[in-house]
Amino acid sequence: METLMVDRIHSSLRLFMHRNAIFLCERLCAQFPSETNLQLLATCYLHNNQPYAAYHILKGKKLPESRYLFAMSCFRMNLLREAEDTLCPVNEPNIESSIQVPSGATGNYLLGVIYRCTGRMSAAAEQFTQALTVDPLLWAAYEELCILGVAEDADECFSEATALRLQQEHASTSALEKSNFANENRILSSSLPSSLGDIIPKQMKQLHANITAEVPGYHHVRGTALHVQNSTTSNIVQFDTPSPATAQTSSIVPPPLFRNVHAYQNTISVDAPAKQKANGANQPLRRKYLDEARLKKVSGRLFNQSSESLPRRSARLSRDTTINSNSNISQFGGNGTDHSSGKLRVNSSTPSKLCSTAIRSVQVRKGKPRATENFDEGSRNEVIDEMWTDNEPATSSSVTTDGRFFEQDKAERIMSQDSKLAVGIRELLGLLRLLGEGFRLSCLFKCQEALEVFRKLPEPQFNTGWVLCQVGKAYFELVDYLEADHYFELAHRLSPCTLDGMDIYSTVLYHLNAEMRLSYLAQELISIDRLSPQAWCAVGNCFALRKDHETALKNFQRAVQLDSRFAYAHTLCGHEYSALEDYENSLKFYQCALQVDERHYNAWYGLGVVYLRQEKFEFAEHHFRRAFQINPRSSVLMCYLGMALHSLKRNEEALEMMEKAIAADKKNPLPKYQKALILLGLQKYTEALEELERLKEIAPHESSMYALMGKIYKQLNILDKAVFCFGIALDLKPPAADLAIIKAAMEKVHLPDELMDDDL
Amino acid sequence: MESDAEEETSATPAAAPAAGRLKGSPELTVDADMREMAKTAAWSVSSCKAGNGVAALRDDNLDTYWQSDGAQPHLVNIQFQKKVQLQLVVLYVDFKLDESYTPSKISIRAGDGFHNLKEIKTVELAKPVGWVHISLSGADPRETFIHTFMLQIAVLSNHLNGRDTHVRQIKIFGPRPNPVPRQPFHFISREFITYSTIR
Repeated sequence: METLMVDRIHSSLRLFMHRNAIFLCERLCAQFPSETNLQLLATCYLHNNQPYAAYHILKGKKLPESRYLFAMSCFRMNLLREAEDTLCPVNEPNIESSIQVPSGATGNYLLGVIYRCTGRMSAAAEQFTQALTVDPLLWAAYEELCILGVAEDADECFSEATALRLQQEHASTSALEKSNFANENRILSSSLPSSLGDIIPKQMKQLHANITAEVPGYHHVRGTALHVQNSTTSNIVQFDTPSPATAQTSSIVPPPLFRNVHAYQNTISVDAPAKQKANGANQPLRRKYLDEARLKKVSGRLFNQSSESLPRRSARLSRDTTINSNSNISQFGGNGTDHSSGKLRVNSSTPSKLCSTAIRSVQVRKGKPRATENFDEGSRNEVIDEMWTDNEPATSSSVTTDGRFFEQDKAERIMSQDSKLAVGIRELLGLLRLLGEGFRLSCLFKCQEALEVFRKLPEPQFNTGWVLCQVGKAYFELVDYLEADHYFELAHRLSPCTLDGMDIYSTVLYHLNAEMRLSYLAQELISIDRLSPQAWCAVGNCFALRKDHETALKNFQRAVQLDSRFAYAHTLCGHEYSALEDYENSLKFYQCALQVDERHYNAWYGLGVVYLRQEKFEFAEHHFRRAFQINPRSSVLMCYLGMALHSLKRNEEALEMMEKAIAADKKNPLPKYQKALILLGLQKYTEALEELERLKEIAPHESSMYALMGKIYKQLNILDKAVFCFGIALDLKPPAADLAIIKAAMEKVHLPDELMDDDL
Repeated sequence: MESDAEEETSATPAAAPAAGRLKGSPELTVDADMREMAKTAAWSVSSCKAGNGVAALRDDNLDTYWQSDGAQPHLVNIQFQKKVQLQLVVLYVDFKLDESYTPSKISIRAGDGFHNLKEIKTVELAKPVGWVHISLSGADPRETFIHTFMLQIAVLSNHLNGRDTHVRQIKIFGPRPNPVPRQPFHFISREFITYSTIR
């Protein structure tokens, strides 16, 4: 009853029937109280979004899985201290290495996230690295490392070595079995009577035919080696178990088979994926056996030498063929990765098992259906033992030659399975490598390189929401808002429910002054998910664009409430407070943002601007420099750093910085303008004028530029030009404040210049 | 932009009463480059009736009003934390609802404190319903703004010779600060604005 209930609970969970699962699980726990069942109940609660219930039932439990689930529920309830204590008790510092749920990597990841939330970045980085070493396919851990800025090259994380390691991991689980069989084989080979040589091949042929009968079936279903893996996997798993049983077949296994097995073992352990060739070779072999399969029943009867085994044999064979198809189907429905890992295990040990194949294969198939529910080796043992005794007399020397073919085919199949897995791993790692490298580079703000890496992705991968958002973000950091707009729009169209990059998209639209589109985006996002912080950030940006800072602030505060670990919402609040001239609060919010994510350079920049306004120039310079260290490619940051230096009267450094900014981005007019300002302050009028002339080409309609030129001409006493420039400045309709200044300046042109009141 | 502001003529430099009369408009129309300045200022009134105090002037609710309770002139004092540039004063009054409580003559004074307030503007209202925009600028573009620590709005007389007055809302406007700090001029072209800040 217990297994039945567990099975039903699992299927309810899979089909999202949480209440059903919880109910059944509670009955289960009442009837069969055990920690495993409690874990299952906690899982149900967590799926149903009731972490407090899971917390309550798992409090104090010691098993690794329980501790992981307990830590997860603490984390969801924001009890970070407790979660951390569970995962890593104070008096047992190495305990996390023993967290085996699942495979330890997610335990490390969860611990890393907790460390990050509580501000211990280096410990967090350690945990994420550990998680990656345990499970290289845990993308989330690599992502976190990138965000912390300490990720190593994706090439190293997702490299050949990792691929080999993954394969070996799968192989190592079956290595034990392999070694088991190697031992068995040695025993068997030593005791082989040569007289069996004739009988066995034929038998092997029969059995092989039986086995290969499955293969065509597999081919029909999917035609990949995976299916072969399925059958061979289960075959081999079956092979693994009966070590005492194999001893019984010592008379059966011929030395030649064993030799072949060794040869195959060697080739496979080299991990050379000759899968395609193996597949090709398999095809003709299988077709050959297909015919034999049809003869199997007849030949089986002919073949069987013992009367008792005959009926069982044929019965077994007929049962096997039917059951096999069923079992195969049930296996197909399972989780891909589990099966592949299972298959791998099987694959590597197949060759060794091939030598004792003939009868075992039949046994395997019989056992396989029974083992479909769970690979319970115990049950298989029973089956195999039973089959062994039956088959013993039936072994023949026909095994030898056919066995070799059989074994070869099997080995090839194993190789192909193995190599298929190897290729699969490499493909996945290759993909992760590209994505990881791109993400890492964009987190380090090396945007051009990141874009190049992303372009290497195959088109179907490139045209997905995540990648397009990353590309858009890279363009955003490069201050190329038009391109960013294009990519974000594409991302939004392709996957309208991806909210992750939409806050940046709303900022892009804000910069482009696209009011209609921004408000449309905001409306859309709110209608998709009212509880996502990104949607409220977009709404806030809408109001900020219209200069309604108070409403914008309200919206950003809502975003903060929805997710206090979303750094950008804090920064935007800070910007709005700054615009409202409430500097105290803006400082607070910028610092909140930095607590969440120290590498959020926008917050550093915001702090710098506030201090600049408050005329605390040293602080301003320090904060701009921190922002610049995080994002050394941004010309706007360089410009602001230069402005802070200029305010500190460190004019040479300021000019240097402006030069850098101009070099970094030719299209940015601001550093040129600032350079002119600095030169004016240094009274290098002609150079300042040159700079402004150059600027005219980029931004011909900027009144501030002409106003500045007018000022310089006034200093140089070229009065007619000064008036001319002021006139143009006025024509370009500056805001009222500037209007007043410029008109005043124009009228004072002919007066001595004691009254120029707009110096910095 | 501002309604009825053209009716006024401030020909003489001395604070002479304006020739035109303001009617008030139903809409609050303010230039985009102006913003409300008095959120962090200290507001006080010369007198008020219980339940209709100074808070009603700033609550963004046109149904609540400040009612004075003393001798004329009734004063609203606004003290800023630092010297600010001001451009526009807007009041919401409603003759239809308030009749004899509606102010008819308003004087605006500015200075550093109570001791040196000087009248800068006087306006007369004619049965106003809605927002009354009172510009503080002079004719000269150099006099667009007044720089001051304190503003005082004095209600000198009411319609129909009422003693006390009702004012429903008061807003003070001035120029927006430059989003880019420490600059002599604002940026107006797209190219400059795009690159001028990080958000």
